Amino acid sequence: MKRLRKLKSVLGLAGIILIAILVSPVAADGSNIFLQAGNLTDVLRQMSVIGIIAVAMTFVILTAGIDLSVGSILAFATCLTGMFITRSSPGSSHFAQAALAVTVAVGASALVGAANGVVISAFRIQPFIVSLASMIGVRGLAKWLSKNENIDIGFGSDAAASFAGFVNQKVVIVGAFAVLAAIFWIVLDRTVFGRYVRAIGDNEKAGRYSGLPIRSVKIAVYTLSGLLTGIAGVLYAAENHQGNPNAGVAYELDAIAAVVIGGTSLMGGSGSIAGTIVGTLIMGVLTNILRLRNVDSNVEMMVKAVIIVLAVAIQKSEKAE
Amino acid sequence: MRLTWVVVGIGLALAGCGGSSGPRKKLVAFSQCNNSEPYRAAQNARLTKLLAAQPDVQLVIADAQQDNSKQIGQIEAFIRQKPDLLIVAPNERAPLTEVMGRAFHAGIPVICLERDIVQPNYTSYIRSDNREIGRMAGQYIVDYLTKKNGAPRGNIVQIRGLLGVEGEINRYEGAQEVLAKYPGIRTVHEAVADWIQAKAKDRMTEALRAEPKIDVVYAHNDPMAVGAYLAAKDLGREKEMIFIGVDGLSGPGGGIQKVADGILAATFVYPLCVDKAVEIGTRILREPGFQPEKVYTINSVMVTPENAARLEKAAE
Repeated sequence: MKRLRKLKSVLGLAGIILIAILVSPVAADGSNIFLQAGNLTDVLRQMSVIGIIAVAMTFVILTAGIDLSVGSILAFATCLTGMFITRSSPGSSHFAQAALAVTVAVGASALVGAANGVVISAFRIQPFIVSLASMIGVRGLAKWLSKNENIDIGFGSDAAASFAGFVNQKVVIVGAFAVLAAIFWIVLDRTVFGRYVRAIGDNEKAGRYSGLPIRSVKIAVYTLSGLLTGIAGVLYAAENHQGNPNAGVAYELDAIAAVVIGGTSLMGGSGSIAGTIVGTLIMGVLTNILRLRNVDSNVEMMVKAVIIVLAVAIQKSEKAE
Repeated sequence: MRLTWVVVGIGLALAGCGGSSGPRKKLVAFSQCNNSEPYRAAQNARLTKLLAAQPDVQLVIADAQQDNSKQIGQIEAFIRQKPDLLIVAPNERAPLTEVMGRAFHAGIPVICLERDIVQPNYTSYIRSDNREIGRMAGQYIVDYLTKKNGAPRGNIVQIRGLLGVEGEINRYEGAQEVLAKYPGIRTVHEAVADWIQAKAKDRMTEALRAEPKIDVVYAHNDPMAVGAYLAAKDLGREKEMIFIGVDGLSGPGGGIQKVADGILAATFVYPLCVDKAVEIGTRILREPGFQPEKVYTINSVMVTPENAARLEKAAE
């Protein structure tokens, strides 16, 4: 049954790709623009940041939780990246400076995630409320840190510019998504931790009676969410050549959409990283083909709304069958 | 399972809309940073109108909704379509520099509209000059006060836009350049209202409470000037001072109409830059070997009650 459902979301992706090929505009040399290697890698690059966040969000949602703070954490991480990569630090190599900036940005983001997890599990407050508060507070923190201004990463030959130049390559950005997705696919399917995550979402009470370390698993899951979002923030800063306290608004919703399109249930317990990758790809291909067809971006939003509802409806109806 | 086919059907229908078939027209792609600003909407409308006169040109506008990543993605999709001309109104300098470079180096003629980017990754950059607008406003204030008070002296209030933004910095400093030469003219109150009319009304109310005598209010855009006027009107003091703004958009809610209505004494047109873009763009499309200049600067025009009606008509 499970395998069948997974197959169905892959079928959905195949369907959308087929549609994309059919309706893609044709280049002057007669080739299909959607299928050009450059375009296909554009799609992968554009979805990578959301994809990385969605991988972490899958863990959170599997525990029947939610993390609304990821968009703000992303902004926070871009600001830290910008601040530390542009700091003048004579004597240290470009690599050392980049390593420091990445470590600070990712580490601080993981700490924010850990704080979410601690509050959620220690005070038994609903994740929605805790992460809503965190979404507001961390956005404020990012704006305060950056004094409301973008931190520009230049185009020269200093540490900041060489960092952005290196990270902002398709192979690095898509590679980061691919590696992280593979690692956490294995973590979820092949480790005890992964089993605990599913078990808690499936039935927290039963998990508690059977002595599962519920508190530490929850803290770990939200820490993971902060950590991966921090990595996404580093990529975002390089792609946009700036730390931006206003970045990532509504990204939590894009990530949640990718997760649920991929068949993970908001009730927790059931879902997969594979599904989330497929869900992210569906949104990525859809966005791309609508843009190649020059469909109005307001219509793009309406189409996405329809796709989200239909994708979940299909999974429901198939479950019932 | 039936639902799957519904999805496929809807997908096909939706993907089918947009774009057009028939003989290939010249494709002009416009990447607009944010349709929901009135200035941007005016650019879109003007561009659409001007290009409608060329039936073999197909114009496509993508709205990035003030999102750098979205604008980068939209320009990437345009690059794949190899448009005959790409016009970009960048949302922000740094994030758009690289992708515009990719378009430019792919051989697509690129016109950068109004806002500069970090590297000259464009065929032509069409700019307007905010500092010159600031100077014009400063000179207008000097002339008005000299006429009103017999000498260049008086009290002014400045309502500033979002701090740190190029337009705000130059509209402010350009005026300061001129005003600094006249010690009799004092800026008695400065407030920041982030370009927003409602905020300007609140900040102006405070200024009015603090300052018993105000001659001129210089707001760095028209909505803020109107907000300041509304605050003064609430306190019955709108006849005591004049209000000047910047932007000078046409249309019923625009600054030109506000001048015609007597609410603003003057405004300074912040050019849409679109007419020049169409002029240059058309030559790029139709004259092989045409070498445009790297930078064009569009001059502002002062709007006063005398020329408001004429300018409004010309902008239609």
